Amino acid sequence: MGERAAAASLKFVTVQANSASLAEARARVFEFFKTTCRSIPTVMEIYNLQDVVNESQLRSAVSSEIRRHAHITNPKVIDMLLQKGTEELHNIVQHSKQRHHIIGQYVVGQRGLVHDLGTKDEGTSDFLKNFYRSNYF
Amino acid sequence: MAAASASSFTSLKSRPAPGLATIAAVKSGAPLSFSFRRPVPAVSRLRISCAAKPETVEKVAKIVKKQLALPTETPVTGDSKFAALGADSLDTVEIVMGLEEEFDISVEEDSAQSIATVQDAADLIEELVQKKCG
Repeated sequence: MGERAAAASLKFVTVQANSASLAEARARVFEFFKTTCRSIPTVMEIYNLQDVVNESQLRSAVSSEIRRHAHITNPKVIDMLLQKGTEELHNIVQHSKQRHHIIGQYVVGQRGLVHDLGTKDEGTSDFLKNFYRSNYF
Repeated sequence: MAAASASSFTSLKSRPAPGLATIAAVKSGAPLSFSFRRPVPAVSRLRISCAAKPETVEKVAKIVKKQLALPTETPVTGDSKFAALGADSLDTVEIVMGLEEEFDISVEEDSAQSIATVQDAADLIEELVQKKCG
């Protein structure tokens, strides 16, 4: 596991992503995903998430975040999203965030925070639930 | 001098390795695979390519099923292709990451590209685990 973390840490010195084509942007996305997955053990140790979540759940949270933008075809937009993702990962690994941020954003996720928590929410409209989740539905 | 010692190291390694694999198989309780008993010629490039142990294939199949959320009775054999099971490219990368975590190995970029079936993944894992331990 030591070499996985070491391999991941080298990637943080990144240049500005400037993909020439969709294929290159795709490759960068997979690289980013792999770096993130290899940093997951570090994150779990930093924020003491061992009792809250396990590694595969965090991995699927990351992949669902990536999959939300899977329909995008413009390489520049993909680069921008990758830059935001790298910045987020950097903040998390450098311990600039706190435990409740990680739990709220990646463990509980978008659905658990707001809705379907009690019987009073079961009657609310699907439109509102979708609206809270994202702008495009 | 380093090259000479390295080559002598590899030629020494090529002979006990089949025995070690047999011992490892006995320790883990798996049925002895007699393909390991074939004498390996001491070539300069150490590459023992033998079929993966069935329990490795089992573990890989379990991880694949969990990742793709397949029902447990779906047959996932060594020949099942990931694409045929409904995995897109991100799923395949995620499965490889799950295997990295499970077996505590590190898969290189070019090796990861060549994985298309469950058997490929199991063979690659065996190779990496042997390289790590042996």
